[in-house]
Amino acid sequence: MSDTTIELNNVAKRYWLRRGWYVTSIKDEVGRLTARLLRRQVIPREEFWALKDITFSLKRGEVLGLVGPNGAGKSTLLKILSRVTVPTSGSFVVNGRLGALIEIGAGFHPELTGRENIALNGVILGMSRKEIQSKFDRIVAFAELERFIDTPIKHYSSGMQMRLGFAVAAHTDPDVLLIDEILAVGDASFQAKCANKIAELKEQDKTIILCSHNMSNITDHAKSVLWVDGGRVRMIGETGAVLDAYLEHVTAAVNAEAENAHKEEASAGEGLASIHQVVTLNEAEQPQARFDRGDRVLIDITYSASQPLPGAVFGVSVQDIQGYPLGGVVTDPDSVKITSPVERAVLRLTLDPILFNRGAYTLNVHIAEPTVKRTYDLKRRVARIAVDGPRATDRETSGHVYYPHRWESLR
Amino acid sequence: MFDTIRTAYQHRELILSFAVRDIKARYKQTALGVAWSILQPLSMMLVFTLVFSLFAKIPSDGIPYPVFAYSALTFWTFFSNTISGGTMAMTANNALIRKIYFPRETLLLSVLLAGLLDLAIASMLFVGMSLYYKMTLTAAVLWVIPLLALQMILAFGVISVTSAAHVHFRDIGHALPLLIQLWMFATPVAYPISVIPHWLKPLYLLNPMAPIIDGYRRAIILGMRPDLEALAVSALITLTLTVTALAIFKRAERTFADVI
Repeated sequence: MSDTTIELNNVAKRYWLRRGWYVTSIKDEVGRLTARLLRRQVIPREEFWALKDITFSLKRGEVLGLVGPNGAGKSTLLKILSRVTVPTSGSFVVNGRLGALIEIGAGFHPELTGRENIALNGVILGMSRKEIQSKFDRIVAFAELERFIDTPIKHYSSGMQMRLGFAVAAHTDPDVLLIDEILAVGDASFQAKCANKIAELKEQDKTIILCSHNMSNITDHAKSVLWVDGGRVRMIGETGAVLDAYLEHVTAAVNAEAENAHKEEASAGEGLASIHQVVTLNEAEQPQARFDRGDRVLIDITYSASQPLPGAVFGVSVQDIQGYPLGGVVTDPDSVKITSPVERAVLRLTLDPILFNRGAYTLNVHIAEPTVKRTYDLKRRVARIAVDGPRATDRETSGHVYYPHRWESLR
Repeated sequence: MFDTIRTAYQHRELILSFAVRDIKARYKQTALGVAWSILQPLSMMLVFTLVFSLFAKIPSDGIPYPVFAYSALTFWTFFSNTISGGTMAMTANNALIRKIYFPRETLLLSVLLAGLLDLAIASMLFVGMSLYYKMTLTAAVLWVIPLLALQMILAFGVISVTSAAHVHFRDIGHALPLLIQLWMFATPVAYPISVIPHWLKPLYLLNPMAPIIDGYRRAIILGMRPDLEALAVSALITLTLTVTALAIFKRAERTFADVI
C-alpha cells in the first residue's frame, strides 16, 4: 500500500468574474454570442485564479494545518480535494475513503426528523444503510440528542443541528479527513468534543487537513502547516516555523490597518483627553518592540487633557493576534490625577517581568472615567510587541501566559 | 450510458434515500398527504371530461371518456411531474452540490423513483374505475412495463439536459410549465390519436411520448399491443436523445458547484 495519501501537482482553479461569478441570464449569453459572430468586441470577462501552482503531498497519518487570510483559497482547495469542483489545470490524487467536515449538516432536510436525517446524511456521506444502523446509537449519543431524535430538525437550535451534523460526519470512518473551520463554532463543550474526536482520528492513523483561523487548534493537532495567500503556497513546513512567519505577517497587516484607523478616526472617546503616543521601551529606555520572555518592558503613554479630569484612570490591555483579550491593568483613581489642563505629559507603565509566551501581542490604551462610564480616549492596537521564547509547539509551554513556577518532588 | 447504470447500481441506497426524503418531505404538514397523488390526475380528468367530452364532443374511440382520459393522465402526470421535479433537482439541492461530492445523476434517478410511488397510488383509482365500468384486463396489460421503462428513459434524458441548463439559466424554470403544457397537447392525452389528420401523422409521431401514451391505452383498455412501428421510432429517438443528453450532463456536471 502506498504511503502517500494525498498528492497535488500544480493544481490551479480559475473563476470568471463577470457580473457575479457566473453567467446570469440567457440575454447575456446571446449578447456575447452575437457580439462574437459580428466580430465585435466580446463583453470582457475577468479571470480570477483562486488557486495557482499548488503542489504538495501528505503521507498516511499526517495532519496538515491550513492557514491563510479569508479569500486565500483554503476552501477552494478543500473543495477540489473533496471533488466538489474540478481544478482548471493540474492533477491530484487522494488514496482512500475521503470524509469532509465542511459545513457539516449540508444534507439535512428541515422537515425530516433527526433520525431520518441521520439516515439521509449518512448515505450522502457514503455510508451504507447497514453501517448507519450499526452506528446509529453512537451517533445519537455523540450528538447528545436522544430526547429529540424523532423531532423534525427545523425545531432544533442551530447548535443542535451542528452537533448532529458533526456526529454523522465524524462516524463516516474516512481514511482522509478534511476539516474546515468547524472547531470555531459551537459552545465550549462541543469544541472540546470535536478536538477529542480529531485526536482520536489522529491516533487511528488518519490523514487530516485541518483548516482553521484558531492557531491553538492548529498547534494542538498539526505537525506541519501550509500557508496559502492569494491562491499560492506562501510557505509549507514545520508548524512552529510556518505559524511564526504567518503571525508575523498578520501582525504587520493588523498594525498597518491600526495605523490607518488611527489617522481616520483620531479618537474613540469624547476628546476631553487624548493619547498621543504609546511607545514600548527596554530597560535602557530605548524604544524596542521585540522582547524575550522575562524582560522588563516599559510602556510610555504620552497624553494631554483639555480640562481637569479628576476621576480619570488610565488603562492598558493586551490582546493576542486574533484580538482575544489576555488581560489589562488600570491605574488607581488616586495615583494619577489630572487636576488641571495638561498640554503634554507622559505616564509610564512597567511590566517587570513580561510573562507572555512566544507570540505577537497588541496593546489598547484608554483614559476613562470608570464610575460614570465615560471614555475620554481609547486607542486600539496602538502598540505591538513581539515576545521571543520557546515555541508553543515545543511543548515546554502552552497558551499565551507564562507562570513563574518550580517543580519539586516530595518524598 | 453503461457507466450511469453502474453508478446507479452502486449508489442505489443513495437514490433510494433521496427518493424517500422527497416523498416524506413533500407530504409533511399537508392535510391530505398522499391523496394529492390521486387528486392531481383526478381533477384533470374531471376538467377534461367536462371540456373535451361534454362541450367539445371529442371522440374517445368508444371508450367511456373518464376512463379514456384517466388512463393517459396517470402516466402523463408521472411524466410531467418527473420533468418538472427533475429539472429543478440540481438547483433545489444546491446546498448539497456546493459542499458534498456524490454522483449528481443520483438526484435525477431519485426523482423518477419517487414519482413511481405517486403513479402507483394514482393507478389504484384506475382499478376502481375499471370495476365500475366493468372492464376486463388482458395479458396485453404487460405492455405497460416496457412502455413505462421507455417513458422513464425519455424523462431521464430530458431532465439530464434541463436540470443542467437550469443551473446556468433560471429561465428554464419559467419556461417549463408552458413547455410541458404544449407537449401534453402534442400528445394523445385528451384526444385519441385517430383524430390526427393523415398527412400530419408522420410528423406527429416524432413526438416520442405520442406512441407511448397511445400504447398504454391500447394495452390497458383495449387489450391490444401498442403500435410497434411508431413505438420503434419513439424508442430510437428516445435512446439517441438520452445518450446525447447524458453526455451533456456529465460534461456540465463538472462546473455545477462553481455556477449554481
